[in-house]
Amino acid sequence: MVAFDRGISVLIEDLVDTMRAGPGSVGVAAPQIGVTLRVCVVDVSNSRLGRDCNHGLLALVNPEIITREGANIMREGCMSVPDYTGDVERSTLITVRFLDQAGNSREITAIGFEAVAIQHEMDHLDGILFLDRIASLKTGLFRRKTYK
Amino acid sequence: MSECRKDNLAHFAVTIIGKDRPGIVADSAEILYRLGCNVEDSSCTMLGGNFAMILIISHEKPFAKARLSDEFRALQEMGLSVYVRALHEDEICYRPPQGELCLVSVYGSDKPGIVYRVTRELADRRINITDLNTRLIGSKEEPVYVMMLEAALPEGLTVLDAEGILEKLKKELSVEISVRVITPVSL
Repeated sequence: MVAFDRGISVLIEDLVDTMRAGPGSVGVAAPQIGVTLRVCVVDVSNSRLGRDCNHGLLALVNPEIITREGANIMREGCMSVPDYTGDVERSTLITVRFLDQAGNSREITAIGFEAVAIQHEMDHLDGILFLDRIASLKTGLFRRKTYK
Repeated sequence: MSECRKDNLAHFAVTIIGKDRPGIVADSAEILYRLGCNVEDSSCTMLGGNFAMILIISHEKPFAKARLSDEFRALQEMGLSVYVRALHEDEICYRPPQGELCLVSVYGSDKPGIVYRVTRELADRRINITDLNTRLIGSKEEPVYVMMLEAALPEGLTVLDAEGILEKLKKELSVEISVRVITPVSL
């Protein structure tokens, strides 16, 4: 857990800079830049999938998912695992409680791509990569469906 | 593999296939390990009652294809079929597919021509298949054929176009065909 101080603002700036520097990147978590704190940023407002439904730039300090609903599979890629993608199942709607950049407690409900991005970034805070969430490297979907 | 391998490596494609049993991968990998080969890329799976391995391997030059063939003789003596192909420089690197990636799923009662007719339509429009699986499911009395393929659409072609291209085959083959975008999202 993170105590809120000035250092956090600097970290958030670093995370935003890193996200903006990655082409098409919609989120970065502190562990990805070598900082083991529970902080991540998400912004899907410039992406094709997220631009119609988002909260703009989100800085999430100590985020917690309070409720989740639904499930949807999307093929995810991650800048920490270049050149590899996998089909990951995520909740379609989540309510997240977190401290924002100013240290205020906030609660938002995210859906669709923004919800996926938040769950992906929050996984980094627990050391989980999308690779840990897929059943089969390539054809997980197909194999699971036809063997059962 | 975002960049090409170094010039000092010789690359080979190897396929190994035979009646499934525990130990095929271990036996094959042991030979490669003892030779000092790297497994660069691989896809291995059960197909029917067989186990099929397809590998791209590398070894520091100089390294002759004959050395692989010689060592693989032990596998052949165990009943496995082995094929080795030396790779040219321009077939070593993985080229990520350009354009929108889509998943085409086809299913319906089993009949000849499902794979052929669908893939011919795609090939005629320069749609590049990057992955393909087929399987026969259902019961003996009512076999259902399932094909799932991933393909990269050339510039200017949308998923709707691809769906339209395959539309007429639904009736002709009496199968269900669906196309959806699976272009990876970068997070």
